[in-house]
Amino acid sequence: MLVLATLATPAACHSRPPLVALDAGPPLRLVAAPGVRINARLKPALELDDGTVLRFDSPRVTPDSAYFAAAPTAAPPEDVRRGTLRVSVCPSGEGICRSLEVAVAW
Amino acid sequence: MRNSWIGLLLLAGVVGGTAAAIRRLPPTPSVGGTPAPELTNTSWLNADQPLRLSELHGRVVLLNFWVFTCGNCTRTVPSLVAYDRLYRERGLTIIGIHTPEFPPYAGEHDKGNLARALRRQDIAYPNAQDNDRRTWDAYGIRYWPSFVLIDKRGMIRYTGYGEFHLDDGDFREWDRRIQQLLAE
Repeated sequence: MLVLATLATPAACHSRPPLVALDAGPPLRLVAAPGVRINARLKPALELDDGTVLRFDSPRVTPDSAYFAAAPTAAPPEDVRRGTLRVSVCPSGEGICRSLEVAVAW
Repeated sequence: MRNSWIGLLLLAGVVGGTAAAIRRLPPTPSVGGTPAPELTNTSWLNADQPLRLSELHGRVVLLNFWVFTCGNCTRTVPSLVAYDRLYRERGLTIIGIHTPEFPPYAGEHDKGNLARALRRQDIAYPNAQDNDRRTWDAYGIRYWPSFVLIDKRGMIRYTGYGEFHLDDGDFREWDRRIQQLLAE
């Protein structure tokens, strides 16, 4: 079972490369696009409708612990199929981090 | 595999609205400068009382928008600490504007966590907690870390963003600009 992500807001018509993708798993996996790093000091969060916050994590991080070295995962309850994803992404070469907040379903 | 690409494209669509501005351009001056919005933050570290730009006229001010969970930010801190040691006595005031990325559950809003981050990185210059992003928004900031250099008259003269390191090209460029404004 691969990714199915749906959005609360209409997708804009841009041809920019994606920063991250959500792999439905289970468990849910956050996959960074090439050249994009996911901030490991600010673990990605999946906010569920009931207020629960699940954090993505992976035991593999870069030596400075700043970024995930393997796709972080989270395991929501089986009956939960949607939420709000927050992730701090740091594109290589940009020298910055930026926040991504998006409604997702899987 | 097809579903995978659907997901990728949908996520790309959402972030596309803000991606256009992401370019690692060198900071550029705005001719003549624009008035710097006043700081209104109430919670400060390394300061006896809240700092206000109106009380810093006559000094050059470098604002650093950062958060301790951002590696690009923390790797830039040694450069800012160096500027502080080099130029504080000559009229430079560096102010960290600590702006969380995530909601409070992530711990970035906690003053104790910020205090530990300051100690860990030997940061002696003042830092404001910008937990409600009022200063971030007032300056139109979008990325961590970002920088705003303000002259002695309270005018924004240079802005920029992105990690830099001691003695690299960006470090030297910011250093040149600081010295230029100190000399005015």
